[in-house]
Amino acid sequence: MAIEAIDPGLCNGCGICVRNCPMDVIRMDKKARKAEIRYQVDCMLCGQCLECPEKAIYLKPGWLTPTLLGWG
Amino acid sequence: MIDCDVLVIGGGIAGCFAAVKAREQGLKVLLVDKGYVSRSGETPYAGDTAVFDADWGHELDQWLTQVSVIGEYMNNRHWNELVFRDSRERFADLCSWGVQFLKKDGEYVRLPHPYKNSDLPDKHKFPPIVSEVVHWLPGFPDMLRKHVIHSGVKIKDRFMVTELLKQDGRVVGAIGFSIEGNEPQVIRAKAVAMCAGGGGFRPIGYPTHELTGDGHVMAYRVGAVITSKEFVSPHSTDPEQPAWPPMYLFFSSGGSAALPGMWQDPKLYNAEGDFVPARGMAWHGWLDAEYEAHEGRAPLTADLGRRGIQRVSGPGAHGSMLGHATGGIVPVDDDCATDVAGLYAAGDSLGTCFIGASYSGFGFATMHAAATGARAGLGVAKEAKRLTAAGSGPALDASGAKGGLDEQVVKAASARLLAPLERKGGFTPRWVTQVLQNTLAPYFVLYVKHGDRLRTALDTVEYLRDHIVPKLYARDDHELRLAHETKNMVTSAEMKLRSSLFRTESRGTHYREDYPGRNDAEWLAWVRLKEEDGTMTAFKEPIPLKWRPDASRPYNERYPMRLPNESPGGEAAARDAGAPTGRKEGR
Repeated sequence: MAIEAIDPGLCNGCGICVRNCPMDVIRMDKKARKAEIRYQVDCMLCGQCLECPEKAIYLKPGWLTPTLLGWG
Repeated sequence: MIDCDVLVIGGGIAGCFAAVKAREQGLKVLLVDKGYVSRSGETPYAGDTAVFDADWGHELDQWLTQVSVIGEYMNNRHWNELVFRDSRERFADLCSWGVQFLKKDGEYVRLPHPYKNSDLPDKHKFPPIVSEVVHWLPGFPDMLRKHVIHSGVKIKDRFMVTELLKQDGRVVGAIGFSIEGNEPQVIRAKAVAMCAGGGGFRPIGYPTHELTGDGHVMAYRVGAVITSKEFVSPHSTDPEQPAWPPMYLFFSSGGSAALPGMWQDPKLYNAEGDFVPARGMAWHGWLDAEYEAHEGRAPLTADLGRRGIQRVSGPGAHGSMLGHATGGIVPVDDDCATDVAGLYAAGDSLGTCFIGASYSGFGFATMHAAATGARAGLGVAKEAKRLTAAGSGPALDASGAKGGLDEQVVKAASARLLAPLERKGGFTPRWVTQVLQNTLAPYFVLYVKHGDRLRTALDTVEYLRDHIVPKLYARDDHELRLAHETKNMVTSAEMKLRSSLFRTESRGTHYREDYPGRNDAEWLAWVRLKEEDGTMTAFKEPIPLKWRPDASRPYNERYPMRLPNESPGGEAAARDAGAPTGRKEGR
């Protein structure tokens, strides 16, 4: 399932995961000042977000493969 | 509008070198990246770089022979020599920038290529594998970035360029948008260095989803010549957990060559329990695995020694690492200039044909990125200075045009940039990407190729190009990036399929079931692509006679690597004539 969760209790809002993510999966919730998973389906499991100094990010080994629809 | 002397697009190893070297010439340099400079493309997953140094006992002829034989003579020996000769200085640059390399007793540890001759079939016919790498320590990307900033290069992260702006026959800048915010922004530059990496189709097993061929496609659209897109990378993957463990964890913990034995000499077995010889170097030649699947002998397993037994699947719509130092924008001189005035290129965007038809040595892509990056940086700086000396250059003093740029050119590019956001409906970039992947991923399209199947795939890709891509729509800035990447991937797919169809032989990682042998009489040539009257056209560029293999040598000595289903004996010689053999028989 790619990137699984960012623990809001641990996230300190430093933004390292946001800048490291090459696929723009994570964005900063500017109000809450916490990183949030915004586009999970685009995660490619590179692992660069795991540089999180608070170890707030969880990845899962599985792969998210959406069903191919007739159009979409 | 942003003004600079030199614009560098892409912030991997090549882009960082280009930016720094141009900056050292005293110019105003802007480096932009879709992601975060230094974390971009394949840079975070590189662990080492090859260094050629005569003082270390390296011999140029031996290095050249290694590349020629493994790259099956599709390499450009002029560029091989330039990059090898530059590599010691680029290594010194990295050291002076603060990058730490593995040392023992005060000396740099030089690691030999993990594959030895003794691992190879027909080893007695094989030239010595001589290349060596030095291995950098964790923190490499951060040191790279730190130096770029320190040098005075201006960085713009999370900025996607959608088009190069061309005016009066030359590239005068680019247009793009910030990933967070949709406003088109024009960057005016005296000259541009394209360092945006290679092109894949968001493969499942290797985290290079942002490498969507942007550089190749943007350059092609302004008239550049593209080369060697038919060669592929058969990096295999685990079918159950294809992207695990995360690639960056491995490299940031000091992986790659520092852990000899990790991926060394894996033993591959088919479903019937027979040993499958993985013929290539550094597992790039695992075309045999694709062929085993073709013959109905999958699933395959790899015995990785202490790492256990792993199931193996093909890379699917990989085509990413394949861009490594071979296919791309053709250089016209040693400064990495291209056919298009004002446009330079480096790294995997640049088609030097450095490695040829199959990847020939660990650390060659990073070595090539650094060397061509530095050359492009100096080249682009020279061009910018020349324009300044000549009175600002043609684009900058165009009378009547706002800021020297033709308003109509900017307006049209801006409209194309925003078009996916303007549409209320149509097709989502994710869906179009999925259709493209379904077209290209099966092993029988880009790995075990056949003219009929390539044409079928090309029909679908042309349909996507003509009917689906113009209806791509995006609901926000994130999807706007995806829309432009998808558009680029469709053109990149057309390039791969057309090049593959054009090369009517098999060689290196390009395997044609309908032309299963190498054909030296006709195909000691590169496949180039160029837009002519709106159509992608392929043509041959002969390889200089002096670089071709000696035809009087027996076939098996010219080509110690066996192609799938090729016997070591006389059968190969018959195929050498290059006649199509029609339907393939079983092994």
